[in-house]
Amino acid sequence: MKILIVEDELKTADYLVRGLREQGCAVDLAHDGADGCHLALSLDYDVIILDVMLPGMDGLEILRRLRAGKQTPVIMLTARDRVEDRVRGLREGADDYLIKPFSFLELLARLQALTRRGRAQEATQLEIGDLKLDLIARKASRGGQRLELTAKEFALLAVLARHRGEILSKTAIAELVWDINFDSNTNVVEVAIKRLRAKIDGPFRHKLVHTIRGMGYVLEPRDEAGA
Amino acid sequence: MNPSIAGRLAAMFALVALLVFSIIGVALHRVLERELARQQREELTTKLDIAALMVSRAVLPEKWVGVRAKLDTLAASNGGTRFRITSEDPYYTYGAPLPDEARLSSLAGMGSVQLAGREHAFRTLARDIPGAGTRPPTQLIVAIDSRPYVATMARFAYALLAWSAAGVVGVAALGYWVARLGLRPLRRLSSEAHALSPQRLSQRLQIGCLPQELSTLAGSFNGALDRLEAAYAQLEAFNADVAHELRTPLANLIGQTQVALSRSRSADQLEDVLQSNLEELERMRAIVNDMLFLARADQGAHALETVPVRVEDEIAKALDFLELILDEAGLSARIEGTAVARLERALFQRAVMNLLHNAIQHSVPGSEIAVRIEGDEAQVAITVANPGPPLAEAHLARVYDRFFRIDSSRGNSGENHGLGLSIVKAVATMHGGEVYARREGSCNVFGFTVRARGPATSPPPIRLDATRPLAGAPERA
Repeated sequence: MKILIVEDELKTADYLVRGLREQGCAVDLAHDGADGCHLALSLDYDVIILDVMLPGMDGLEILRRLRAGKQTPVIMLTARDRVEDRVRGLREGADDYLIKPFSFLELLARLQALTRRGRAQEATQLEIGDLKLDLIARKASRGGQRLELTAKEFALLAVLARHRGEILSKTAIAELVWDINFDSNTNVVEVAIKRLRAKIDGPFRHKLVHTIRGMGYVLEPRDEAGA
Repeated sequence: MNPSIAGRLAAMFALVALLVFSIIGVALHRVLERELARQQREELTTKLDIAALMVSRAVLPEKWVGVRAKLDTLAASNGGTRFRITSEDPYYTYGAPLPDEARLSSLAGMGSVQLAGREHAFRTLARDIPGAGTRPPTQLIVAIDSRPYVATMARFAYALLAWSAAGVVGVAALGYWVARLGLRPLRRLSSEAHALSPQRLSQRLQIGCLPQELSTLAGSFNGALDRLEAAYAQLEAFNADVAHELRTPLANLIGQTQVALSRSRSADQLEDVLQSNLEELERMRAIVNDMLFLARADQGAHALETVPVRVEDEIAKALDFLELILDEAGLSARIEGTAVARLERALFQRAVMNLLHNAIQHSVPGSEIAVRIEGDEAQVAITVANPGPPLAEAHLARVYDRFFRIDSSRGNSGENHGLGLSIVKAVATMHGGEVYARREGSCNVFGFTVRARGPATSPPPIRLDATRPLAGAPERA
């Protein structure tokens, strides 16, 4: 994925570039509005990450110029948590926005959502290691053994399985499973993961659900014994 | 620039004085005019009486000669008095003919005639004298010059005008002085108000020695100052709270990082530190986000994207999310009532979630949390009741304050940063409602109201009174 980041804050720009490159993205960086605008207009990117407050030319202006000719998906970054700003940004043609401080995971999730848009239909059968999910029949089994899951547990497992290998934050899980799109400050997701784990990992030697402390959870088979 | 009160008062005083002086002047003028007319009549009557007596006694032609001589002396040399006698017999006549004699002699009262060569009109009085002896009946007319009277009248009018003008000017000047004197308390008040500053917040205007009219104003002003001071104090306390809340995770971050860097660590150990740091940072992010949300509500932000929703459905959704932790805590929950209201769903769910989460944290295992929905045309009240030990009145009044925790020792438990109920209050405000907390039987009851038809279109004034009492019954209008 080819990404342009327009961000004047050096530290923010630095970790965004490093994090996205480690995710296998090709990243260009512009530190001010004029450079950013030039790059956005002259090269083709899969996604542009655009800060609103920039020296020289602000993000909304860049967006306006970009939209005059291109439909590259744009994620706006803003420190202004004001409704007017969001409305304005989205009307100018931004595809999504994140309010600072945001988490890197959230940004990754939004990037994936943006680039996934319009892709072919997802599979109805998922397999992660010896875990098998039938999304239509809503059945799950591991090693041929049927797993008795509640509806919510199945939904949670399905979300983790669809994003296999991806770290999902608690907020993202709450949104995808329960449609709760704000920070609830509760430990519902921890409890749900704990219960799911008891059912799908408990009796098995190789664990599939892993906790990434401070970030979230990931479903993937890991080779190391007793991990 | 607007005219000063003193200037306006002085102008109004002057106008009033002008009016009064005019009325009095006109009245005096009339009185004098009448008085002068009376004097003229008396003078004429006196002269006429004398002349008539002389004429009536002249019954013989030789006596008439004497009458003429006496009348000559009576008529003053300056021509200010004229006598005129007419009769059928040309012998018994006297004086130069007057214009319009027939009319003058037929008048019962005073007449007026303009003589050639005289500046002012003459006043006349006439009398018929019956014939006696050889003298036939005669008509006697006395005329006097009105010049002295007209002159008096004119001098009086000039004097009246001049003094009235001087009076008006004098009243205006005195009025200005009096007004300034009367407004002195206002100037004092203004200079006092001018001296108020944020450094001396507890300072108030002195009401004691103010006149009635100003003490009300100063009272309201002091009331506004009270509210400002309270808001200021709350703001300062809030700032201190914020600093404190952020200081703890910051201290953890700094300390942990310093310890980690003080000697060489394995990658695993370093990863552990980073993960722990991330947890602290996530907590700080949550606090900052919530504070930004509260700040927006403070600035009078309104729920914008409101849609009509079934309130019980939204609550059911929140309960569905919380099902697992209800289960873990050994609690159950039920929803009573139904209502429809215009809400911004995410905000409303957040408020309900926070109320429910609060109830879950303070319920004894095995009990049931009741969510009541009571609504009418105007507003909908959402009440969460959970059995639990009673809270002190002082605590009940403060539960919606930011960073307020009944049990301060649980302050730093990861997920509870003391803003949950403040957010409920902010959401209620954003929907044109309010919050309440009270004790009902063996339950602690927390709740909030929302306007059923969505928040008012015009933003309400920003509430400054931090110590606003909690609302009573939710049914209250």
